[in-house]
Amino acid sequence: MKKKLFFLIAAMIVTFSVAIADGDKVVKIKTTAVCEMCKARIERTLGLSKGVKESNLDLKDKVVTVKYNPGKTTEEAIRATIINTGYDADGQLANQKAHDKLPSCCKKTVAPH
Amino acid sequence: MTKYLTGGFFFLISLSLSAQRITGSVNEQAAGAALKPITGANVYWSGTSHATATDTAGRFSIPRVTQTNLLIVSFVGFQNDTIKIGQESDLQIVLRADQALKEVVVRGNANAIDRLSPHQTEIITTRALAKAACCNLSESFETNASVSVSYSDAVTGSKQIQMLGLSGTYIQTNVENIPGLRGLASTFGLNFIPGTWIQSIDVGKGAGSVVNGYESMTGQINIELQKPDTHDKLYLNTYVNSFGRGEVNLNLAHQLSEKWSTGLLTHASTLQNRIDKNKDGFLDLPLYTQFNGINRWKYQSQKMMAQFGVKALYEDRLGGQKDFRPEMKGTLQSYGFGSRVNRYEFFSKIARLFPDKPYKGLGFIMNASLHDSKSYFGINNYNGRQETLYGNLIYQSIIGSTNHSYKAGISYLYDHYDELYRHFSLKRKESVPGAFFEYTFNHLDKFVAVAGGRVDFHNLYGTQWTPRLHLKYSLTDQTTLRASAGKGFRVANPLAEYYGNLVSSRLVVFTEAIRPEISWNYGASLTQEYKLGEMNGTLVVDYYRTNFENQLVADLEDPRYIYFYNLNGKAFANSFQAEVNLTPIKRFDLKLAYRLFDVKQTLNGANDRNILEQKMMVSRDRVLFNAGYALPYDKWKFDGTLQWNGKKRLPYMGPVDEHMDHGLTMEMPSTMAPSFFNLNAQITRTFPKWDIYLGGENLANFRQKNPIMNAENPFQQGFDAGMAWGPVTGRMIYAGMRYKIVR
Repeated sequence: MKKKLFFLIAAMIVTFSVAIADGDKVVKIKTTAVCEMCKARIERTLGLSKGVKESNLDLKDKVVTVKYNPGKTTEEAIRATIINTGYDADGQLANQKAHDKLPSCCKKTVAPH
Repeated sequence: MTKYLTGGFFFLISLSLSAQRITGSVNEQAAGAALKPITGANVYWSGTSHATATDTAGRFSIPRVTQTNLLIVSFVGFQNDTIKIGQESDLQIVLRADQALKEVVVRGNANAIDRLSPHQTEIITTRALAKAACCNLSESFETNASVSVSYSDAVTGSKQIQMLGLSGTYIQTNVENIPGLRGLASTFGLNFIPGTWIQSIDVGKGAGSVVNGYESMTGQINIELQKPDTHDKLYLNTYVNSFGRGEVNLNLAHQLSEKWSTGLLTHASTLQNRIDKNKDGFLDLPLYTQFNGINRWKYQSQKMMAQFGVKALYEDRLGGQKDFRPEMKGTLQSYGFGSRVNRYEFFSKIARLFPDKPYKGLGFIMNASLHDSKSYFGINNYNGRQETLYGNLIYQSIIGSTNHSYKAGISYLYDHYDELYRHFSLKRKESVPGAFFEYTFNHLDKFVAVAGGRVDFHNLYGTQWTPRLHLKYSLTDQTTLRASAGKGFRVANPLAEYYGNLVSSRLVVFTEAIRPEISWNYGASLTQEYKLGEMNGTLVVDYYRTNFENQLVADLEDPRYIYFYNLNGKAFANSFQAEVNLTPIKRFDLKLAYRLFDVKQTLNGANDRNILEQKMMVSRDRVLFNAGYALPYDKWKFDGTLQWNGKKRLPYMGPVDEHMDHGLTMEMPSTMAPSFFNLNAQITRTFPKWDIYLGGENLANFRQKNPIMNAENPFQQGFDAGMAWGPVTGRMIYAGMRYKIVR
């Protein structure tokens, strides 16, 4: 009983310490995000992918700032995630199939709004 | 800028909720004039910091404030919309695309206390429901301090809830404001609503609104199911646990046209693994199979909202001794339990909306159901059938200004019960037309008074008058006081409500004709929001008392009998609860609650002496501690709940002297069941399109040692499976996944 509780608390402490671990790297990637929906989509997809701690997209310059653990993921993998979400990453073209699935307001052809 | 304020008012949906909270949906005009919900739109009161954000279905809920009636809705990429709010409670807002971009704040709370409602209401959201990967409604209250769940016996697997010290039959349980789990469905009803179908649950303590009828005695629970026009086109959930239970839930939603949508909710689950961990020769859990589905259609226009649908359920249970097979039914070879339930239901709701008079509305609810159950306990058969027809017509408007509003209407309830237990037949036809009126006075949302009354003409028990009163006073923005008082009335169904006690060698004796139960409930509560440095929290303290004028007494004090009779003396339930919530850091929530019950009932003793006894199977004390932590976007979610249940009184189960007086209940010494801990925990990992979860229940592996009395001789005196006071099964580990396709 007490043991179980201990494990639960231990699990939570581990989570915290992982969240504040040092050695994280930061990368800035230029995307083709258009609107707030794009921002939310890219940030969520990156946020849920392996090794990513934080992701923040600035719609003014379309640059997403990603904090990640280099032991678990790479810049290439992060760019691949963006491409597979349907957006260009640092000039590398988006996966056409994923791009076609995006709502019309989020496509590259749309004028910024 | 075009502004749509289409249907001010789906008051059918929000009837039981108060007008003090505004709910609604925020949409964008998608291609082909269809509406698409916007997730994460900001909704806030002009010039204040009271803000909220829409969920994945585009829905939001925000309490009213006194400072302003201008509600602003914003989402980046869209023009802001400012709406003047009158008395309406449910809005549909359509935003128009815009050039100006703004910041968006998304906040999500798992449990919320409705701050501005005159009724003390706790809202269990989808987020809280996901905390316990709950399989059905009975598991949805795991992290809620006000409602506790217990097994009724060690064989049938049926579960009962408790609130304010009284069993779930005294709570009016509605599904989208249609009385749902009542009558014969109260036995297994909690297992009939799968968790994945549920959008949210409102738990109201104390007397309820008169609009929903007279049956609410200790409180009301309203369950909102997933809507046909929800954001999720497809939602698949699969679940498997270490006992061998498997479960699949599939929800589909489809927008047929601008105005029509349809939804399908399905569930299939089964357990085919014979488990007897406590080695008493009896299955710890019954084998079972359930198929369950709802199909509903929704029409939504500016002036009309209509919904109708059908529900169908089939459930088959088989329990008893480990070697029992269905062919042995009715023989003394082996003790078996079987139950087969077929349930069909039709429901419809129609609301006339008045777009330019949002405080006004007219709604009609119609519901017809057929519940058929066939059970056996050893050599005793019990069959029950219930046909119900329910209609409720509600009109809502104001008197002069929105400070004075009212709801008025008429209702009709028809119940036909036909039960046969052994050779004993119980038949009853109830036909109850009624009328109600509820007046609400609102002074700047600071002081709200709701006074309601209803009169019902019961064909069997005469005219019933049900008054109810609710008061709310906000001392400050952080402090709210509430008080309520009201009468409740219901006709009990002894066999369905004490079903678990039928799994015994007890002889069922009705010592007199059972009269309806009548109770008065009084209560008061204090809700205080506080700040500890940067940390936010709430404190809720409440006290309720339920006094019975008449109550069905199920007297189990003599191990040979179960006596049913009317209360002859006092019966009451006092409940005190204190709950502290704290959010020490972002996305980390703590809850600590303590609850005290004092529940007593007068039993008929020998020689016409009445004894006021502590009600059996009710823990005096209970403590609940819940902790939850989530990473951004819920990438990882951790949740744990620890409960401590205090001692309970058990009836005497020792040997009986045959020379004892065969009169009514003898004064026999009762025993106490020990207190125990229960620990549940769960971890969820979210991926862009799907989630996986792993969890455990009863991790402390606590088990009641001998949940079945005299399990060796089930056909002899002293056999009783109805004395289960704790978990029958040990530790259970489960895992599952959820998959979603959003529109």
